[in-house]
Amino acid sequence: MAQKTSTTDSLFNSMNNDGSKGPITVFESPRFILTQSTETIKKNNLNVLVIHRFGDAAGNLGGGKTFFGLDAVADVYIGFEYGLTNDLNIDIGRSTIPTVGGLVSAQLKYAVLHQTSDGSSPLAISVLGQTGVRPYNTYSSFSDRMSYFAQAIFARKFSHSFAFQVAPSILYDNLPNPNVPGNENTIFSLSATARLKVTKLMSVVVDYAHPFSSFRNNNAGFSDPLGLGIQVVTGGHVFTLNVTNSRAVSEMNYLSNTASDFGRGQYRLGFTISRMFDFNHKEKYNPK
Amino acid sequence: MRYICIILLTLFNITKTDQDLYTCKNARITLFSKALIEDIKATTSTGVSVFNAETGELNFSALISAFQFEKAFMQQHFNSDYMESDKFPRAIFKGKMQEHIDLTRDGIYPVSVVGELTVHGVTQKRTIQGSVTIRNGIISMASEFMVKCADHHIDIPQILFYHIAESIKVTVSATYNPYKNIP
Repeated sequence: MAQKTSTTDSLFNSMNNDGSKGPITVFESPRFILTQSTETIKKNNLNVLVIHRFGDAAGNLGGGKTFFGLDAVADVYIGFEYGLTNDLNIDIGRSTIPTVGGLVSAQLKYAVLHQTSDGSSPLAISVLGQTGVRPYNTYSSFSDRMSYFAQAIFARKFSHSFAFQVAPSILYDNLPNPNVPGNENTIFSLSATARLKVTKLMSVVVDYAHPFSSFRNNNAGFSDPLGLGIQVVTGGHVFTLNVTNSRAVSEMNYLSNTASDFGRGQYRLGFTISRMFDFNHKEKYNPK
Repeated sequence: MRYICIILLTLFNITKTDQDLYTCKNARITLFSKALIEDIKATTSTGVSVFNAETGELNFSALISAFQFEKAFMQQHFNSDYMESDKFPRAIFKGKMQEHIDLTRDGIYPVSVVGELTVHGVTQKRTIQGSVTIRNGIISMASEFMVKCADHHIDIPQILFYHIAESIKVTVSATYNPYKNIP
């Protein structure tokens, strides 16, 4: 009788051994404050994003006269992210950023590798490529309006609450931004982001980027973009409330031209609202 | 000759033991939550079950991440926020059928199975009602029961737009094959 029990259980256990090594979700959202995450939008899903940066909270342009920056707008990004497959996204977005003539950008993002729960893949890796064009201002030729950006993102979920990512990237501006003598067309950068869950749906995010540029090291006024924020995920919506010195939303703008500094009071409130629409119709919903 | 007899007897014995075991690798398990804005439903057809007809032992297991939802972000929340499926990958039921069923006679038999249900790492003693159908010697089982989120320490965050109900209806249906042990 006792032997029978073990027969049933051992058979049951052997049938349960496989299959529990699927990919895990490292981050809740495809974007942080500055950097994008390894996550992609799933197939037939559309993510609509509004990312807003207010004006300087303090310093010369901030303070009471602009209600600590709330009366001024530094940048507004409106974007659409669509899942062509579960791992391949196409993104289109537009930034206001008036000083350089705005920015319209198109991007492809591909999830190369997912972190798995059994540890067979310890990292999640995504790559993205972006092209940007500046629609306004006067440029001598159309090619001067173009910028190109490529990034590889490496992320790991260390525990239920803590996840970290690093993202090396290369940015190429056909016309250096800002367009002054000595500035480089090509900028290598490294971004790092940490996310700590404080409750089930709320996390604290620290987002930092460092451009490796001798021009930016030798000329005063440039600083590294840094963002601190709170992210709230509410089933279909993601809200991020943040404080950052970066005026721009797009990588093409903040990596090349962040001339605002926390120390000079040039930090601002910002927020991100994202809403997910799922176009997988119920009729098509037919799990095998 | 004596050895052949022993071998034959052993073989016969093994065959007989195995005939009591029935397995199912494609049990269909459905979760249903009545909700204010939108009913939430998830299905998997990869449930695993073993039934020992002689002892009445009946085990079920389902991979949490295999449940398919209508919306991808619901599935993500279900796994990461409710079920924490990276920590608790499977829901398991191990029970014993109280009735003894004559597998040679076609019919539908109501049964109750007493055992332990482990969901989200928390084990609860449960008695689950269901039915066993025998048709042309093929065994299939069906059951419908409620699982209270609170019983298994599954928190429902109040801020979510898509609330799940405090009790989730679970529907299980499984058709069994005799287990053939191929050494």
